[in-house]
Amino acid sequence: MPFLSDGFDRIDPVLWVLGCTSLAALFAALGVLPLIGREKIPRRWMGWANAMAGGMMLGSAYVIAQAGLSGAGREVLPGTLGALAGIGFIYWTHRASGTDEIELNRLNEDRPDYGYQVLLVNTLHSASEGVAIGVAMVIDLRFGAFMALAMAIHNAPEVTVLAAVLRSRGAQLSWAAALGVMTNISQVLFAVVVYAVVSAAPAMLPLVIGFAVGALMHLVLVELLPESYKVAGHTSIALSVSAAMGIVVLLEGVAA
Amino acid sequence: MSELHPALLVFLYGLATALATGLGALPFAFVQNISPRVVASANAIASGLMLGACFGLVAEGTNHGAWQTIAGANIGVLFILATQRFLHGHDVEFGVARGAGARQMLLMVVVMTVHSFSEGVAVGASFGGGMSLAAIITIAIAVHNVPEGLAISAVLRPRGVSVAGCAGWSIFSSLPQPIMAVPAFLFVEAFRPALPYGVGFAAGAMVFLVFVELLPEAFEQGRRHTVALLVSLTLVGMVLFQQLL
Repeated sequence: MPFLSDGFDRIDPVLWVLGCTSLAALFAALGVLPLIGREKIPRRWMGWANAMAGGMMLGSAYVIAQAGLSGAGREVLPGTLGALAGIGFIYWTHRASGTDEIELNRLNEDRPDYGYQVLLVNTLHSASEGVAIGVAMVIDLRFGAFMALAMAIHNAPEVTVLAAVLRSRGAQLSWAAALGVMTNISQVLFAVVVYAVVSAAPAMLPLVIGFAVGALMHLVLVELLPESYKVAGHTSIALSVSAAMGIVVLLEGVAA
Repeated sequence: MSELHPALLVFLYGLATALATGLGALPFAFVQNISPRVVASANAIASGLMLGACFGLVAEGTNHGAWQTIAGANIGVLFILATQRFLHGHDVEFGVARGAGARQMLLMVVVMTVHSFSEGVAVGASFGGGMSLAAIITIAIAVHNVPEGLAISAVLRPRGVSVAGCAGWSIFSSLPQPIMAVPAFLFVEAFRPALPYGVGFAAGAMVFLVFVELLPEAFEQGRRHTVALLVSLTLVGMVLFQQLL
């Protein structure tokens, strides 16, 4: 993005991170568009939405890992430890919050606490994505902006699934959109904090890159994919994941 | 060895790396009881190994050209879709299995064999840089082939193929390496532009096979957290392994 290049010396980088991620969180609201004018969407659509979101996350994990492995601070051991910590963090938050067996796309679940659990899982999910954006911003502000864009686009289908669940529980469309944005505020928060901390302590960079990669990848495997396969055909899910992944990898490769 | 023609030497080195693939079947000599849980775990491990292998492939491909790699990947996906459709129309048999199990085994062997063609080109092209590094390259590729044999065996063994059979099919899947290495070594310049397409094809086919056959079956037969953890940890292990090599 060369048109941005002369703006970087005038804008405070922390503000840049805050602005990019806030826009990404707001973009999530667009996820309610498929629900306008209908009570519910076919469950197949929810599977595809999750698969596309998952594919973009896997593509992002790949490009962040590549950036880490080819950069100046190329350190394999802390990167691996970070990845293990990221996987462990996702596993542990699911266990600790009692959401390890929860399915995030149930439309006929009438337990009162189900809605809160889904919001909690979505918020934790966005936190890991915030770490990914923050660490990408440390690697390079333009790369970070690319990551924020990828996450912004991927937030929309995630909120489509969330909004479908909230609508089935009687929430209004505008309220579902607002909650969708709110679950992504953790993305903003973690991106800014990770950017500030890792910029101040660059030795942590390989560790945090590993963490972001491990967490993104494991979220896709444990939250998004198993449910997708249950509600849509395997071929359509595999195509959605691979296409979304390929687009992120291609765009990054062309931009670099 | 100085009397040997360098092309023959490349072939022999390539053959040695192919034989190493058979070692991937070894761990299954120690697994006796094959329950649905074991099938799910084996599928998950194969998925992690293949996704990890693609990590390196895509990186190599995009070094030569991002568009060409993605074009190759698309052809790889179409190749799997076409092969699936073809196998659905036929009553396939593979060893003792028929139907879905046989189809998965055939797909796995076909994909890993086809992917070895582009690896063979990569081997030959790297020898083209000079024979001084030949021994190191051979050892690196031989070691890299072992997890691929493990991935194939993880799909074949739970579906009733013997350990020796797993080793045989693993070696078979790598035979394109010595075969392709020789022309790639002799005509490096002619093969180089094709490399990103070939590497992209292999990555596309492997990623798609994981998402369309191996993972959904693993999630159906195993517990969600076990499967996800096995895939994640194997993937990290495979990437680490490639970095250290």
